[in-house]
Amino acid sequence: MRVVIADDAVILRDGLAQLLELRGHTVVAAVKDAEALRHAVAEHGPDIAVIDVRMPPTHTDEGLRAALQMRRDHPGVGIMLFSQYVETRYVKDLVAESAAGVGYLLKERVADLDDFVDALRRVAGGGTALDPEVLPHLLGGPRGTLDRLSPREREVLALMAEGRTNDAIARRLVVSGRAVEKHVANIFTKLGLPPSGEDHRRVLAVLRYLEGT
Amino acid sequence: MRGKRAGGELLYILSGIVFGVFGAAFTAGVLLLGTALSVTAIGVPLLAAGLLGARRLAGAQRRLAAALLGERIEQPPPRQDLPGFYGRMQSRLTDPYGWRAVAFFLLQPPQALLQAATVIFTWCWGVVALTFPIQQALGWNRVEGGWELAGFPLEPFPRTLLVSLAGLCLLWLAPKAVHVVLLPHRLLLRLLLGPRRPAARIRDLEESRALVVDDSAAVLRRIERDLHDGAQARMVSLIMQLTLLRESVPEGPARELAGKAQETASLAVRELRELVRGIHPPVLDQGLETALAALADTVPIRTVLRVEVPRLRAAVESIAYFCVAELLTNAAKHSGADEVRISATLDGGLLRIEVADDGHGGATVLAGSGLVGLRDRAGTVDGRLLIHSPAGGPTRITVELPAGR
Repeated sequence: MRVVIADDAVILRDGLAQLLELRGHTVVAAVKDAEALRHAVAEHGPDIAVIDVRMPPTHTDEGLRAALQMRRDHPGVGIMLFSQYVETRYVKDLVAESAAGVGYLLKERVADLDDFVDALRRVAGGGTALDPEVLPHLLGGPRGTLDRLSPREREVLALMAEGRTNDAIARRLVVSGRAVEKHVANIFTKLGLPPSGEDHRRVLAVLRYLEGT
Repeated sequence: MRGKRAGGELLYILSGIVFGVFGAAFTAGVLLLGTALSVTAIGVPLLAAGLLGARRLAGAQRRLAAALLGERIEQPPPRQDLPGFYGRMQSRLTDPYGWRAVAFFLLQPPQALLQAATVIFTWCWGVVALTFPIQQALGWNRVEGGWELAGFPLEPFPRTLLVSLAGLCLLWLAPKAVHVVLLPHRLLLRLLLGPRRPAARIRDLEESRALVVDDSAAVLRRIERDLHDGAQARMVSLIMQLTLLRESVPEGPARELAGKAQETASLAVRELRELVRGIHPPVLDQGLETALAALADTVPIRTVLRVEVPRLRAAVESIAYFCVAELLTNAAKHSGADEVRISATLDGGLLRIEVADDGHGGATVLAGSGLVGLRDRAGTVDGRLLIHSPAGGPTRITVELPAGR
């Protein structure tokens, strides 16, 4: 993958670049603010941009706003927001238009490099990757609707929303692939969503459901 | 009793003249020098020291008045310096009691003149007139052609007794005149050297409290940012380095250890995040509307949010945020409600936040209830908490916070 990194902390830019290059990916630019990010994306046309939410000058949501702008200017570039905070507001803003090709991960997720690179690849390919810490907030919508799901189904839904395949969910929960398929079918039925074979489309369905709450 | 008062007042005037002239010279000197040198580095500290000195002199003047005039003037409240050199300068230069002492001493010379004239005219002339016959008998104080008043000769004896009589009258009048001439001085003592009226003091306290509240909000925000850019970023960097380490060593104890270290570091990052959330949630930087919307997202009840407020004082926004957080948690935990409505409106400088649910009510401010904490929090900016929560519901809790200064 060709990656652009935007983070105002130089130690994090360098660290992340090193890790990605270790896995054979190319960091075409590592920049420190939203303005430079805009130029870098326009110049290099990367597969994905990893963007810190808080950057200069105001250190509030520059990264998020730059990401929303990028969505319009370069819809083909994957967006991975990379933050130290769980702020569902950020996620909702980001997926409000389309959840395809966006992700939101907490920075400490780099601890598992395989998982992290996997998430980047999914997002670069038009999929979704949401942090497990973020999902409970999104899933904590109105009772009524989610109460219909069993605890296991909620777990499966959370993993689905992270952007995982049935196989990956089965591995994570240590159950059979068939069991997961059954849970997924139940979830769609209970939520009134038509089942679909495609991985990222069902994530979109999950997110649309989350958005609708 | 009267004699004692007269003696005290006389002594007060005599010592007061010396003291007052010194005080006036000191304050005027420091004031002039400090102002003249205010373009240089020592002007301001000099002025500050002068104000402190004036305050000390005022203390001595109060003790003098208490001892000789029986005028007991309450001490002004103790002075408190802000931290640091500039804080100290600022506190001293804005100390109202320092400036009041300066005003007092600058008003001293004309008063001292009047007091001295009164003492001379009554006490001194009284003594001189009373002893007139003795002076004449001893051959002192003679004038050519003898003393006379408007053509009326005042000599020889026994006519000199008339002067004596006049002297007696003056001496009888002297304590009364001295007392009367000291009345405006006593008033000034009380007005300028005593504590100010409660209203002024309350205004002061309100101002200093607003400063403290705003200051602590700013400090919390700075701590949050420092943690984000410092400790938190370094912990994440550490996690990255440990990942690198894991990738570069073969499978074995070293890799396992690196993994364990990563878990510990991740835990520290999570703990820091929770800590920060408790002191200054970063989302507050984007304004109350965004922050409250983010809060509403986290509760497992349906929420209806209406926020129509501009950006406000950071301290007020922060209090509003934590109040809504607590109220939403309460509604979710205890009310059994299906829906909670949150509204924030600004009405003539008053931020009104209402959190209403359709639950079973019964919320009260009792010891140990989270609502006590909310009421205290709101109280720091003179806000209040209104609870309407009859048994059976619904619950409507309003937080009113003065949003301006």
